[in-house]
Order: sequence, then C-alpha cells, then structure tokens
Amino acid sequence: MSEMRLSATGSDRFKYLQMLVTEFQDTDSDEAKEQVLANLANFAYDPRNLEDLRTLQVIELFLDMLTEENENFVEFGIGGLCNLSMDRGCRDQILQSEAIPLVIGCLSSRREETVLSAITTLMNLTTAASRVQTINEAVLQCMLRFSISESPRLHNLASVFLQDCCTEEQVARAEAQMQGHHPTALGIPLPKD
Amino acid sequence: MAAPVSSWSTTEVYKHHEQQTICPSRPKYREGRRPKAVKVYTINLESRYLMVQGVPAIGVMTELIQLSALYGVVEEYRVLDEYPAEEFTEVYLIKFQKLTSARAAKRRMDEISFFGGLLHVCYAPEYETLEDTRLKIQDRRRYVNRTTKNKAKEEADQEEDHMKLKLSDPVPSLGTTSSGDDQMSSYNSSNVGTLSSSHGRYLEFPLLPLPPQEVPPYRHAPSYDQSYFYQANKCRTTPTEDKMGSLPNAIDTKQQQAPKASRAPLYTEGDKGLVKSVNRPYAAPPRFVPRTTHLENKKRKMVEVSEDSLFGIGDTNEILIGPKLPDQPKMDMEDASLNTTADIIRNTLKKVASVPEVKPTDKTKATKARRRI
Repeated sequence: MSEMRLSATGSDRFKYLQMLVTEFQDTDSDEAKEQVLANLANFAYDPRNLEDLRTLQVIELFLDMLTEENENFVEFGIGGLCNLSMDRGCRDQILQSEAIPLVIGCLSSRREETVLSAITTLMNLTTAASRVQTINEAVLQCMLRFSISESPRLHNLASVFLQDCCTEEQVARAEAQMQGHHPTALGIPLPKD
Repeated sequence: MAAPVSSWSTTEVYKHHEQQTICPSRPKYREGRRPKAVKVYTINLESRYLMVQGVPAIGVMTELIQLSALYGVVEEYRVLDEYPAEEFTEVYLIKFQKLTSARAAKRRMDEISFFGGLLHVCYAPEYETLEDTRLKIQDRRRYVNRTTKNKAKEEADQEEDHMKLKLSDPVPSLGTTSSGDDQMSSYNSSNVGTLSSSHGRYLEFPLLPLPPQEVPPYRHAPSYDQSYFYQANKCRTTPTEDKMGSLPNAIDTKQQQAPKASRAPLYTEGDKGLVKSVNRPYAAPPRFVPRTTHLENKKRKMVEVSEDSLFGIGDTNEILIGPKLPDQPKMDMEDASLNTTADIIRNTLKKVASVPEVKPTDKTKATKARRRI
C-alpha cells in the first residue's frame, strides 16, 4: 500500500523535497536545520528518491555539512552521503565534487555513528580510479586502529574495509609503518575541551 | 537454540539502544504519521539482529518469538540475561534471516503493548559478525543499484510507450507489438491503458512462463466442451478479481488474462505461439476503456459468477474433474460447541437441500457463511 502511495505521487514527492531544501536554506534556526537535514538524509535511504535529490543538489548540501562545527550537522550530512553513495550514479557525482578529503576528515569524529558512516561512504567511493585518493597511508593506519577497536561495529566495518578495499601488501606496509617511524593521527579524535 | 557465538556475548549498552526523545517542534508539513526522534538511518545502523526490551518476565518467550516470526524467519534468539533491564522485564535478542524481516518487525513491534509491557525494539548491529556486516552492505548496494537501474529503465519504457501510443493506430494489435519488440515492452504496451504507474515497477521483473498445468486440464478434460472451459477458467480467476477489486483501479480480467495466456507459448514456441495468441478469441487488443465501462463489466461479471455459483460451478477453486464429493468443505469455528452447532445446521440444510427447489438458498447460505471467515 505504501509503495503505491509513494509512486503514485512521484511529482508531489519532488515538490516536498524541494520544500525541505528551501526551508533548510531559508531558516535561521539550527534546530529546524537539523530536522530537515535528518529528513533529507533519510529520504536518501530510499533509492527511488535519489534522482530527485540529485536534481536538488542535495549532494552538495550534505558535503557542506561535513565542515560544520555542529556535530549533529556532520553526523546527518555524512549519514546522507552514506545513503546516497550506495548508488553508482550518485557515487560518481560525489567523486566529482572533491568529496574524498572531507569524508576522510569525518574519520576523526568523536561520534561513532559519524565514523561508521564515513567508513561506509569511503568504501562506496572506492573505485579503480579513485583508489589512490581513498586509500592512503593515513586511512590505512586509521582503519587498522579501528579494526582492533573494542566496539564491535567499528571493528567489523574497518575489518571489512581492510579486507575488501585494500590489498594485503597495502595493509602489511601500513602495519609496519605504524610500528615504525611514520604514525599518523587520523581517526584519533581530539579530546573534548 | 544454538550455543551462543562469541559475538553474542556483548552486553554493553550502546547509544543507539536508547530511545531518543521525540521531536515535538516540527512544523505541520514535516510531521509524520508517528512522532519520531531526529535521527538518520544508514545501513550501518540497520541489522538483522533486533533487541527487544521491556518484555515482561512472565515466561512469554514463545509468544514473543511467535510474534516476531510473523515478519520473517527467526534464525536465533535468546534472553540477554546480562543486559541491564528494567525490573520484572527481560531483554531479548532476535536474529532474523533477512534484514527486511527485521526492519518490518522493528516497525511493527516497537512501542506495542505486549502482555502488559511496552516493547522497545531497536537494531543491534553490534551482534553482527564480520561476515554479516559485509553481506549487509553488499546486499544494500546491490539493491540500490538494481532499483535505480529499474527505475531508469521503467521511465525510458514509459516514454517509449507513450510515443508508441501516439504513433501507432488507436487499436494496436498484439501481433504487431510483440513481433516488433521484446517481451517486456510488448507486455508494457498491452497494459498501458489499464495498469497504473504503481504497477509499472513490477513489469521490470522477468516474467515467468506459466506452469504447464494451468491450462491443459481444462483443454484436455474430455467431459468439458469449449464454452465450459471458458466458464471454468473465468470462475478460476474470480478470486484474483476479488483481490484486485480492493485496489483503486479495477483491472479487466479479460485484458489481464489475455497477455498472460498468449505469452506462455511465446516464450517457448516463438512465431507459432504468436499465431495462436492472435487467434485466441479473447486476446483483446489493448485499448482505452472508460471507467464506467470497467464498472459495468465488473458488475456483469459478478452477476455471471453468482449465477454460476447457483449451478454449483462457481464456488470452487479446484480443477473440476470427476464426480464431486457431496460434503461441504468444513470450517473450523475454533470451538467444540460452535463446531457441533455448525454441524447441526449443515446437516439440516443438507436435508432441506434434497428438495431441488430449495437448493439455491442452500448454496447461497454456504457461500455467505464462507465469506465471513
């Protein structure tokens, strides 16, 4: 029943999403922004909305959020990107927007949910062409640290990343580097002041 | 129940287990049907493992699992004894076979009253194994890409269909469309008048040829002539029409049936089947039918069917071969005394029914009673 409702009102859905984007841009209230952002990120979960969201340039909107001070903005923004990047079309568009450094930056968040979304997004963004950018030394070391984390979710996801996206040589080299002279601090959040 | 896996021993309370406060400050247009917290769901948060909190500790495990099983196959479950629970309640971990089942169960079971307790259901991805996590993400990626691909294709097809409808003659014959295009688009175009866009999505799945036993029993049964075959066939499809009747746009069974019937041979025999499908009398070419005509057709059909049921043909879904057993299908009233009463009534009716004039009332009574189930 719900499926029928959704598809029967395809153009209504677009108007609704447009209203959300407009409210996000027009409002001065952070609370309203958070709500709308969460709405949009959840709409990004349903693949049938992806085309509309792309048309409304929601990808750029999410990417903008990654550099915000407000941690909720970051969490919802990267959550939205995590949902969007599952689709190949969206993935390519995200890659064209120079998103990789921003996503990697989220690995250092204090919030587990943000870090998890960033790992999954990075996984989705890793292609034959983008591999050079998504998997660098710092990311590898960071994932190695996550993979021995106490948190089962972080441990699992980082292990999947290392096993599926990286080569064994890459992992071995990063392990050696970590014990050697070139440790990086990526993924270690700054203490809260 | 299997021995606890090592990953099942986690007992930490995570933030995502807590029920977040709902957001009361949404403007009207953003208010959902249910009040919800401000939260973003990603595949990381979803899981086929569900944690159910607030289950009254009165030994209702079986009932809880039965309830869960309504939404899909439950692979494993156990009480999380070591998890901090409210007094007199238990916390359960339920592992579904599929993530979609867990999603449905969470949606339906969260915040329902269960034996006097209020359930709180949340995903418990921390109980996943590494392989669970990997498969979950892979499945999700596959699903999203399949859906977007289908959507794009569907839109392209629709565009094509619109063009075709404009270009071709007002009543395109099935023969020309199916010979010119692939199966999928011929099916699309032949239904474009009757199917709404909501049905369109399903058209993208490869259509299976009908199992061979669907038609032959009627065709080869020596005791039934052609007209009876048609009638029986029609009766057989009435339940589908009843079901479809609940949909906002009723579909003419004739039209719905025509492409199906003609497609089955098309898959196997190619051109031969095509000729057959054209010859078939009720393989009506697709054309626009006004809604009033639909309603009239439906009404007429219902009258026909009820007439059939008076003759004793209409009220059966089974293949009609050989003599019919005299006894009525018995229904269970789930109570011994009710069953006895029903039996008495049935027997009385049977006695009355031995007089031929009264037979119709008996039949209508029977169908009425059945409808109440």
